[in-house]
Amino acid sequence: MKKVLVIILLVIIGYFLANTFINIPFGENRIGDINAEKPTAAGYYLSNTKEKSKVANIITAIVVNYRGLDTLGEVTVLFLASTGIASVLYRRKEEEEETERLSLPSSTIIRSGARVLFPIIALLGIYVFIHGHLTPGGGFQGGTIVATGFLLMLISYKGFNTNHNRMTWIESLAGLTFIFLGIWGLIADNTFLGNIPEVGKLNSLLSGGLIPIIYIAVGFKVAVELTGILDILLKIKPKK
Amino acid sequence: MVITPIHYIVVPLIAAFAIPLLSKIHKELFRIVPGIVMFYNIIISFVLMKEVNEVGYISEIIAGWEAPWGINLMITPFSGFLASLISVLGFLIWLYQYRFKKVIDVDEIKSYGILQMMMITGAIGIIITGDIFNLFVFMEIVAITAVSLTSFYRGRDGAEAGFKYLLIGGFASALILLAILILYTQVGTLNMAEIAEKMHTIPLGIKSTILILFIVGFGIEAEMFPLNGWAPDAYSQAPGPTSAAFAGIVVKAGIYGLIRVIYTLFDIEGAFDFLIIAGLVTMIIAEFSAVKQKNLKRMLAYSSIGQMGLVLIAFGIGTKTAVFAALFLMFNHAIIKSLLFMTGSILMYNSKDKTISSIHGIAKNLPFVSIMFAIGAFAIVGLPPFSGFWSKLYVLTAAADKEMIMLIIAILGVSIVEIVYYFRVVNKLYFATDIEHLDIFKPSNNSLIAMGILTITIIVIGFYPDLITGYLHNAADILLDRSSYIDFVLKANVPIQ
Amino acid sequence: MQEEFNEIFLKYHDIISLGVYGTAIGLILIGLYAVLMKKNLVKIVIGLTIIDAGIHLLFIGIGYINGGTAPIFSPGYEDAAKRMVDPIPQALVLTAIVIGFAVTAVALSLVIRLYKHHHTAKIDQIKSLKW
Repeated sequence: MKKVLVIILLVIIGYFLANTFINIPFGENRIGDINAEKPTAAGYYLSNTKEKSKVANIITAIVVNYRGLDTLGEVTVLFLASTGIASVLYRRKEEEEETERLSLPSSTIIRSGARVLFPIIALLGIYVFIHGHLTPGGGFQGGTIVATGFLLMLISYKGFNTNHNRMTWIESLAGLTFIFLGIWGLIADNTFLGNIPEVGKLNSLLSGGLIPIIYIAVGFKVAVELTGILDILLKIKPKK
Repeated sequence: MVITPIHYIVVPLIAAFAIPLLSKIHKELFRIVPGIVMFYNIIISFVLMKEVNEVGYISEIIAGWEAPWGINLMITPFSGFLASLISVLGFLIWLYQYRFKKVIDVDEIKSYGILQMMMITGAIGIIITGDIFNLFVFMEIVAITAVSLTSFYRGRDGAEAGFKYLLIGGFASALILLAILILYTQVGTLNMAEIAEKMHTIPLGIKSTILILFIVGFGIEAEMFPLNGWAPDAYSQAPGPTSAAFAGIVVKAGIYGLIRVIYTLFDIEGAFDFLIIAGLVTMIIAEFSAVKQKNLKRMLAYSSIGQMGLVLIAFGIGTKTAVFAALFLMFNHAIIKSLLFMTGSILMYNSKDKTISSIHGIAKNLPFVSIMFAIGAFAIVGLPPFSGFWSKLYVLTAAADKEMIMLIIAILGVSIVEIVYYFRVVNKLYFATDIEHLDIFKPSNNSLIAMGILTITIIVIGFYPDLITGYLHNAADILLDRSSYIDFVLKANVPIQ
Repeated sequence: MQEEFNEIFLKYHDIISLGVYGTAIGLILIGLYAVLMKKNLVKIVIGLTIIDAGIHLLFIGIGYINGGTAPIFSPGYEDAAKRMVDPIPQALVLTAIVIGFAVTAVALSLVIRLYKHHHTAKIDQIKSLKW
């Protein structure tokens, strides 16, 4: 009975969505003339990023600079999620000693493979977030790649432990770097997150002013936070 | 240093990122730092409110990109009023909980302080932002912190209430995201003023789809029927200060989102009638459910939902008096319901099974808390001379101006129901003598001061409503003036020096 | 090469657009079905992420422009701004993915705690509060 009702509901929702998206043609150009006197937001970004921000990857310019407050909020959401998970799954000292990490017995092949792959994965991740303003990718993507490397180590080595103290330091300092670079803009440019793009030239590693620095800080923060979340979520098995 | 709206967001964020480091220096810092931040929020509110009452609007652009292209923060008398209200309440809630759970581990409390502070920051962010996607981001900050705080206690069914909240909240955020997506394809911008300006170009069919998605999404946060299933569980399972913060702060942010969308973004007339009907159904069902409750915090939660219904009705009437009355109601609900949750959770702390029948006659042992609970109860049902009386009177006046007789009858009828269940509790507190209370938990002095400030505010506003009605009239005027908001953001924005 | 691709693309444009929109709406509906019908808490969380995935795909879909390229100024193509796809939805979807991840992580931690408390992950056996 419930199934029938749910399917009817889904059909209605699907009909409305389909009806709406029929009126939004796929692949239509909605940006308009990018050099118009008052272009749309997308047109403005396309025509101005090269000169005003000196960043090759327009998406990075949007994420870190034009809509930087969103990204600050996003970093905060991730930070709060890791804080919230730590509070939800909090264990007192004596319980902490009774639990261990969930891990399957891993063979020598997996362990040696993980040991070989981990530095390569970490290097790739760091490469991705350092080049966030030049190539596809950036702090969030690179941070996630680094965290995958840590995940590989966490599930293949029982004895592999992350250093919580060091992680807290990196997390806090990376977050504070983001904010204080923003405040630098507030002092120098009179607007929060204001950029200083005069440095470097387009398509070189040193370009875009504060944007790459902020994205590198985001990369560190994301890597550490995701690793912390995975560490907490994996550590659930009661010790025999 | 000049105080600008961005301080509302930057200062708490610095504190949140720094608290894990600071608590390595001294154990007491992670309790004190949120308090300093909350107090600084009050200073910001004071300065900005003074400024905004002279100039009308304050707009601050982020990263130096002007309004339709970058994100801007807007302070109007309306949003400034709500932001100040939230700042003051946030500080009082911090004061109330300062010595909260002194006994348990440091680490656990550390995350509690951060989460509580960021929930308040997220709510302020929802209110001051001028960009629809930014609003979504702040809503997610509020949702994640609220869920974590709801499931903070491990002894209770917090995780269950939290999961329920998360599921419904996740659904709401998906709907809002979908609405933003469709809106973006139609107008090509995310700035609220520019969306409002281009709203008339959207075909009616798509426009109403977007509006429905927004209303359902924000309605969940604003406890609108039938989307409020999460509220009673979350309120009753959360720690006491958090329940007060839910009633005073989170719900206000949800209502703000709803009102900003309907009043500023859209120009569909039918939405106002919809608000009246939704509010009426919400109010009637919630108040009748409140009568049946045995758990005091659940009863207060249902009463809170009912009050939100009344606010929606007042916003739905849509005249200047009605908007003014709605703002007055929001103000009263924030201070009175916070007081009720603060006192109520101390009363509940002394009961064995969290029911009303186990706190009979506790007034003898907790005289101050009981009298403040009673004052709050009298104020919320709208007895003179307390502040709740005036707001209810103004709602009735607004309804009478538009000759909505049935509405008046419904509001008065529901008030009688309210009187029944609140007076029952107050009566049992004072005159039932069937239980002996031993081993009473006394609230600490800072909690008493926080509750005392709220009580005094209720009484003072009751005798001198003129103290705030000036601000509220101003705020109502600005909220109804849709075109000046658009003009200000799109034409005359300059960074504040 | 590029022109050839555009020609083929325009020829099958309707099918591609149906594919993108249809997949996205299908994912949203599948996710909703999982959230509403499944009894296992983990499956409900998976349903929530499937809804998110559908919406993210829609974001990318609406940003596409026929014949457009990625919004990056590669060396040698510094004046390609007129042929680029809409960059805003791609930036928004990045934010939305991270937020979706955070929500999923919190949800999973709640599931772990519920499982510890009730020794089951079935939703109909967890009813201390009424559902």
